[in-house]
Amino acid sequence: MLNTLLANLPYLLKGAVVTLWLSLIVVTFGTLLGVIVGLCANVGGRLVQALVTTYVFVLRGIPVLVVMLLGYYAFPALGFRANAYLAVGVAQVIYIGAFVAEIVRSAVLSVPAGQIAAAKSLGMLRIGILRHVVLPQAARIAVPPLLNNSLTAIKQTSYVSVVGAWELTYAAREIVERTLAAFQIFLGVMAIYFLICYPLSLLARWCEKRLLVAH
Amino acid sequence: MIEVKELKKSFGALEVLKGVTFGVDKGEVVVVLGPSGSGKSTVLRCLNLLEDYEGGEIRIDGAVIGYRTNANGQRVACHEAEKAKLREQVGMVFQSFNLFPHRTALDNVMMGPLRVRGAARKEARTLALELLGKVGLADKADEYPIRLSGGQQQRVAIARSLAMQPKVMLFDEVTSALDPELVGEVLRVIRQLAQEGMTMVIVTHEIPFARDVSDRVLFVDGGVIVEQGPPSKVIADPSSDRLKLFLRRYQGDYLVA
Repeated sequence: MLNTLLANLPYLLKGAVVTLWLSLIVVTFGTLLGVIVGLCANVGGRLVQALVTTYVFVLRGIPVLVVMLLGYYAFPALGFRANAYLAVGVAQVIYIGAFVAEIVRSAVLSVPAGQIAAAKSLGMLRIGILRHVVLPQAARIAVPPLLNNSLTAIKQTSYVSVVGAWELTYAAREIVERTLAAFQIFLGVMAIYFLICYPLSLLARWCEKRLLVAH
Repeated sequence: MIEVKELKKSFGALEVLKGVTFGVDKGEVVVVLGPSGSGKSTVLRCLNLLEDYEGGEIRIDGAVIGYRTNANGQRVACHEAEKAKLREQVGMVFQSFNLFPHRTALDNVMMGPLRVRGAARKEARTLALELLGKVGLADKADEYPIRLSGGQQQRVAIARSLAMQPKVMLFDEVTSALDPELVGEVLRVIRQLAQEGMTMVIVTHEIPFARDVSDRVLFVDGGVIVEQGPPSKVIADPSSDRLKLFLRRYQGDYLVA
């Protein structure tokens, strides 16, 4: 019943490895970008805040697929040659970065004002308040949504197949084209994506319980 | 030690303080009474520059705080660093305690000496343990705030402010958010501080406490001081009608608006 799937499993698993690599890169750089941008919005003046708001609003208003297609065709349009992975990788990092920026920015804002008043009353300076009072609390608040965001990023890597970058979904469609056993192949793909994502979901739940205990 | 002259403060279009004048001597305990919205918390927050003020001046130990006059004779706000320096001398305890939830009680109390005064960890720890003992919570040093009752949290908050060894302590309705049974343990600590000679400005609704502990009572209403004097006069025998009405609640008439 699942013969075709089992026969082609090694090929699918090779695709899964590429998906994992892609996910790692997109999540790492996307989160890094978003954290920097988000924190800049928190400590920066009105100009910085306006720039960040524009970035976030624009990218939240476009489907990730469109962002990726734009990214894919942007490089040749600007006169660069880039391979598919780089082009869509950059596009996804920028896309994820916008969501992370918003998560970080609002996490810092959700630290109660009384905390800052108390820290100021001890004579603490802005940097000290950020470092010892605000960021530790903001980080705890931000981790669960950041983990959820990472889950989204992992699943979104499947879109790169649209522009010809080979990973798990692309591999699956190749096999389906050849064997026509669509349902069982995609069942297998579903299982593989689930296995990749499930540990992260569990981690997100665990973090929620552990980190927010002090609140 | 503290001189406030014609203090004026507005929040946007709303003028909250319309010219408040009073002084606090070293070692004096001044209680500020008043209805909600009268500006009493605002006065406190101006004293440690959590709020800026537009008019008048506040002097602590003779020096104007928060503003200076520049070469052109204009009134210019002080930098945040100068304000922070002042706040090392003026401690504040808040109605909602505001303990740092991600740190133990001991770490909370150590925060000031360690991170602001740059004290060595051992020294900060010793001081913090001493202060926690003073407020009766030495055994709770390693607990996180979430495990402490409101009264315990507030006492830790007082210890935290005391760790900076301030010249003045400000208390902003510190028992208003507590269960009635927990109020006493906090008032006990404040009274002890008063007996030890700490200069204090206390905003409170605890009238009997105010009568016992304060050297002077200010009644603030509508952004001005309506009446001030010793508690034996102001509380027991108020002159102004507004204060009489305000105190009626504490004489059994709890429905008075």
